[in-house]
Amino acid sequence: MPRTSDEPNAHLVNHDLVNKDLLRPVALLSTRFFLVVALLGMVVLAGFSAWGYQLYNGIGVAGIRRPVFWGFYITNFVFWIGISHAGTLISAILRLANAGWRRPITRCAEVITVFALLIGAMFPVIHLGRPWQAFWLIPYPNERGLWPNYRSPLMWDFFAINTYLIGSTTFLILPIIPDFALARDKFSGWRKRFYGILSLGWRGTQRQWHRLETAMQIMAIIIIPVAVSVHTIVSWDFAMTPVPMWHSTIFAPYFVAGAIFSGIAALIVAMVFLRRFLHLEEYLPPVCFDNLGKLLLLMSLLWLYFVFAERLTVWYGNETAEVSVLWLTQRGPYRYLFWIMVACNFGIPFPLLAIKKLRTISGTCIASIAVVGGMWLERYLIIVPSLSRKFLPYAWGTYRPTWVEITITVATFAGMALLYVLFAKFVPIISIWELKVGMREASESELPIVAQADLRTDNIAPERANNQAGGRGQFQK
Amino acid sequence: MERRDFLKATVLTGATAALSGCEKPAQKLVRFIPEEDLVPGVATWKPSVCTLCSAGCGLMVRILPGEAEVVRGGKLGTIQMGLAKKLEGNPNHPVNQGRLCARGQAGLQITYHPDRVNGPLRRSGPRGSGNFLATTWEEALSEVVSKLGEIRSKNRPRSLRVLSGRLRGQHGELVRKFLKAFGAPPAMVFDPLDEPVLRQANLLSFGQASIPSFDLARTNYLICFGADFLGTWNSPVAQSAGYGEMRQGRPGSRGGFVQVEQRMSQTGGNADEWIAARPGTEGVLALGMAHVMLKEQLRPHVQDNATRLIAGWSEGLPDYAPSPVEEKTGIPGKRIERLAREITAHVPAVAMIGGLPLAHTNGLFSALAVNALNTLLGSVGTPGGMFFAPRPPMQESEDLTEDGNFVRDLLGAKLDGTDVLLLHNSNPVFATPAAWKVRNSLAQIPFIVSFGSFVDETSELADLILPDHSPLESWLDDVPESGTNRAVVSLAPPAMQPLHNTLAMPDALLTIAHQLGGDLGKALPWESFQDMLQDSMAPLRTAGGMHPPPSPEAFWTQVQEQGGWWGDEPKQFGRLASPHGRAAVKFTEPQFDGEESSFPLHFQPYVSQAFLDGSLAHLPWMQELPDSLSTIMWGTGVEINPKTAQRLGIEQDDLVEVRSQHGSLMAPALLSPGIAFDVVAMAMGQGHDNFSRYASGRGANPVTILAPVQVAETGSLAWAATRVRVSKVGKARPALFSGGLFERPSELQSR
Amino acid sequence: MSHRWGMVVDLDRCTGCEACVVACHAENNIPTVGEEQALKGRAIHWIRVERYYEGEFPEVRVKFQPVLCQQCDNAPCEPVCPTYASYHTEEGLNGQVYNRCLGTRYCANACPYTVRFFNFFNPAWDKPLHLQLNPEVSVRQVGIMEKCTFCVQRIKSAEVHAKMEKRDLREGEPTPACVQSCPPKALVFGDLNDPESEVSRMTRSRRGAKLLGELGTQPKVTYLQREDWNAKNI
Repeated sequence: MPRTSDEPNAHLVNHDLVNKDLLRPVALLSTRFFLVVALLGMVVLAGFSAWGYQLYNGIGVAGIRRPVFWGFYITNFVFWIGISHAGTLISAILRLANAGWRRPITRCAEVITVFALLIGAMFPVIHLGRPWQAFWLIPYPNERGLWPNYRSPLMWDFFAINTYLIGSTTFLILPIIPDFALARDKFSGWRKRFYGILSLGWRGTQRQWHRLETAMQIMAIIIIPVAVSVHTIVSWDFAMTPVPMWHSTIFAPYFVAGAIFSGIAALIVAMVFLRRFLHLEEYLPPVCFDNLGKLLLLMSLLWLYFVFAERLTVWYGNETAEVSVLWLTQRGPYRYLFWIMVACNFGIPFPLLAIKKLRTISGTCIASIAVVGGMWLERYLIIVPSLSRKFLPYAWGTYRPTWVEITITVATFAGMALLYVLFAKFVPIISIWELKVGMREASESELPIVAQADLRTDNIAPERANNQAGGRGQFQK
Repeated sequence: MERRDFLKATVLTGATAALSGCEKPAQKLVRFIPEEDLVPGVATWKPSVCTLCSAGCGLMVRILPGEAEVVRGGKLGTIQMGLAKKLEGNPNHPVNQGRLCARGQAGLQITYHPDRVNGPLRRSGPRGSGNFLATTWEEALSEVVSKLGEIRSKNRPRSLRVLSGRLRGQHGELVRKFLKAFGAPPAMVFDPLDEPVLRQANLLSFGQASIPSFDLARTNYLICFGADFLGTWNSPVAQSAGYGEMRQGRPGSRGGFVQVEQRMSQTGGNADEWIAARPGTEGVLALGMAHVMLKEQLRPHVQDNATRLIAGWSEGLPDYAPSPVEEKTGIPGKRIERLAREITAHVPAVAMIGGLPLAHTNGLFSALAVNALNTLLGSVGTPGGMFFAPRPPMQESEDLTEDGNFVRDLLGAKLDGTDVLLLHNSNPVFATPAAWKVRNSLAQIPFIVSFGSFVDETSELADLILPDHSPLESWLDDVPESGTNRAVVSLAPPAMQPLHNTLAMPDALLTIAHQLGGDLGKALPWESFQDMLQDSMAPLRTAGGMHPPPSPEAFWTQVQEQGGWWGDEPKQFGRLASPHGRAAVKFTEPQFDGEESSFPLHFQPYVSQAFLDGSLAHLPWMQELPDSLSTIMWGTGVEINPKTAQRLGIEQDDLVEVRSQHGSLMAPALLSPGIAFDVVAMAMGQGHDNFSRYASGRGANPVTILAPVQVAETGSLAWAATRVRVSKVGKARPALFSGGLFERPSELQSR
Repeated sequence: MSHRWGMVVDLDRCTGCEACVVACHAENNIPTVGEEQALKGRAIHWIRVERYYEGEFPEVRVKFQPVLCQQCDNAPCEPVCPTYASYHTEEGLNGQVYNRCLGTRYCANACPYTVRFFNFFNPAWDKPLHLQLNPEVSVRQVGIMEKCTFCVQRIKSAEVHAKMEKRDLREGEPTPACVQSCPPKALVFGDLNDPESEVSRMTRSRRGAKLLGELGTQPKVTYLQREDWNAKNI
């Protein structure tokens, strides 16, 4: 009998039904889909218009000022790069740990990673005073003999994020190929041609499967240090400066932990929505949320530990400038945001996740939404209070965001949702073949390997699949 | 449409209208031939004179060639010309010795100001509406000539009045000669920055109605009563230079500095000890110190006129023992004793008084008290003390004190019967209390001509505007009254060609004089102001300063090159004239307008670091300069003590109303620790209705709500004598440059 | 011998008059941002006079402190600029290459003295105020960081002239605009590599200290403390 916690989909036995359920969202174009896309699209368009307004008029239309030279844009940058750590953890780490319950969620997670990275990587360009020269960050030979400054953490950002982006994209795309092939085989008409191109001639041969597995294994091992390095480097954007409460050695692990924390929360939220609107109740059973919820709880405790450790040392050390920033968030004008953040990141999630009865799908959803909001606030509270109170009190100043920054921020959330919705429309959001592997392993764990390999080829022979399943017929357009 | 926009529009259309009479309507910019020898990229330095305050510092102007749009011969075009790029102090000038203050640096923006009147204008709507149309110099000047000819032929020369800022040097001489030859009364001078009470005190004590100078570089101890001498008072650059030497210019010896005021000024922030005596009791404090010095025989007993003017001096000042002084000033008797001992232990020491203390109704008493203190300290005309700058041996038709006084004439109804008013360098509509109704009085004069470069609250009443060149475009001369121990006549040719269709005011006067002819023409025989200057300098050729004396031509060249003439350094300070005062004075309580119960706070407007009396509010650099203490930019605020504010329910940045018996204004509250509990203060200079795009409609003008109280002996406005009440009316957002207001200074680490 | 430029600020002479602030504006084409932008904290003053209050009325003290770019030898703003727009020159200055600046504003965050300023919009001068602009100093466009350069244009000009005249630089040559204007002569500028120059002598004064020296930035501006005359003054 299958181990229920490890193989959540063990109750599924009908491959054809699986195919149908997971390809249906790809097949159907409902009014609701167009409505959602239109709505999100408008918000995203508003964001782009705001950015265009900024490009035309100058970066001054944003709220940044002296001395708070970084505000919403860098908050968004760090936040979205943080969200992108969802994929790595789930896919890579769980894959290496051979945790079966990852199977239905790997693609959801990896998609978040790629899109969050894309969105996050826009912000270094958005926040530039002269973005039309952003290409100077690319090391290319030029007649002036100028190269970028490799000592700058922003350059490390450039390399790390691009590496992570390339890695994650690979990590995402490779395992979609068999599912594209399945879609190619199941659909007809334009979809058949479309997915035919995307499946890159996948035939499901033994050799192809072996290559895919090896590639996934290698990527899983490589992507973990890359992901850790990305948010470490992002944290060093702050820690490498002598700004009070930035210049802290704890920043690297603190940020990585925070990133994973926010990533898991984002993943849970995404999964809850997918489950509801794509009717994937069977495929995303409560045990997934339960396990993710436990992970989220762990990260929440870890987050709390880091925050407490940092604040205690600042308070104890009593260094003038640092302590004045500390009080700014504990007792000063930022205290409301601070306590809201603590509530969102710990106060609300802790009971919802620690108490088994409350650790339901709704429970984890509420906790995750709180965490996403709380983590955004956390980035804001790291960046802005420190800059507003540096060493010379005469030069202190308060930051106030403008509509441009708010619009763009809201548009990124809409953009993430939009990208996700579009992705889920064109690509099966649950990795079908991996799911089936799980199903097989659960039900026939003693079958010889040949037979398992054999069974995995069921997506190239539709007739055979049909015969096996009892003839469901092909999907129509 | 806003008034100033309309003005701009009418000037523009006016210009085109004037030109279209003879040229094609379609304007193509003509390229004029350069009028000077210019080497591209090479800078030349030319001397000039700073005219922004009474100090009269010498300038060096850096000129670089550039292209500018100008009007030549009635045509608009472009020309390569030398453009002033930077002002520096003239290193050889005895007053400022190569240094220059913030305002002097900003003077550069006057020449290039976008709202400068760039050609003669004639009023084209109701008076004060701000509607003007361009006209030509011929028409404008001939109209003035005909108006003056008219009143002369009607045998009413006394109906010509001139209202002017301070008149010094040949500039002033020209105006005086003109008026005298015409038969008109003396010019009415209105200079809010002048110190008539101090002049009167010095006349009584020392026989010279002059502003004093101070040898700070050799002082060991300075006690200053209310004068912002490091900021805006008297000769700030010279005094700052002396102050720097006093502090750190003599190895092993550092002079101490005590400031007495109720509101910490920029100057007061530098004091070693800051004393907040009650308003109007500064003289009492000075005499309290003198009492101790006399009683404990800390100084040789002196009997001089200055001390004889103080009632009770020969009896040892019994009314000014520490106990009654403590009662009046609020300063503990022990502290006064300590001050007296300290100052005498550190002679040479000097006392200084100016600004707010002299703006009380008993200001003259305070000034006389300080004069007596200085006499007792032996610091009058001695190294490290006070002295009067020597006057250059030039032909002067009249003494400075003979000039008329605008306030006196205004309040004495002497303006009635004026037919023609010539305005120059003065803005009394702005800088006087509303209670005096200056605008109404001036508006009734049938014909008003302004020589100003800008439209402001006073010149907007004019019928004709004959715009003067900017200072850098003019022949300038000045005789500084203080800040130097040598006789100085500053003189400089124009540093730049004129940018606009303007005419130097002295040359305009000469033209008018010649056209009028008769006695006037004979009294002013010079073709141009340049000639008049050259003639006036002639006696100085052999008066010292240049050894051996050069030939007349060489002298004139040298004077122009170095920026003026200055005499030899005297071996000692000049002897004083015989004093004029006879009657001994005693302390009288300062009078305040407004009952204390309804108006509990003293209102102290002060001369602003950025705008002085408001005459510099149109300069954008000055608007954006953060005030040294409040750090406010582009606005004004009401400075109020945090405890007082708390009591009144006022928080930082709240919009408050300040109400006196004669008016009210609204401004943001600025909580300031450096101000007494019962005092509120406001910088002068903002609150212009009409003074260029940068100053109009901005801030509030504290002078408008002042009570029309005068200092009895001089008739000048007692601008510290108003009481007000303050209440919150809303919220404001002043542009403060500083973030932290009451923070501790960053701790500097020793190596 | 190469030069190493440094400055001394004598806080006992400084009166807080801000002549230096305006002189710098005039020399270096610093834009006037207007009230609205000044309200948003975007006014640009390469040198500013900081004012700190201590105490309560009537025992109030004020400290004036001119702060400008300290041209740190260990400048935190230099390693963080991704395009080398902020770099260290051979004469010890922290140079800002306007053309190379992308406007990440990282350097401004890293600077503990908050002496770096940013152009949030394109500067504008109402004509003909633009005629005053100094042709020897670039006008910075939107998105570019700027800060005190020790009037590098004057330094270069003086060096060029000295070279043409085949001589060394004299004492007092070059002089930044702020130093030249300061009425109480509180600012002293010169070559720290010359031990006999006035700035070197004053840097060795027992009253000397570095602003935020404990951060290890190694600033080249030395502040001479205001002496407390008769510390018994209460």
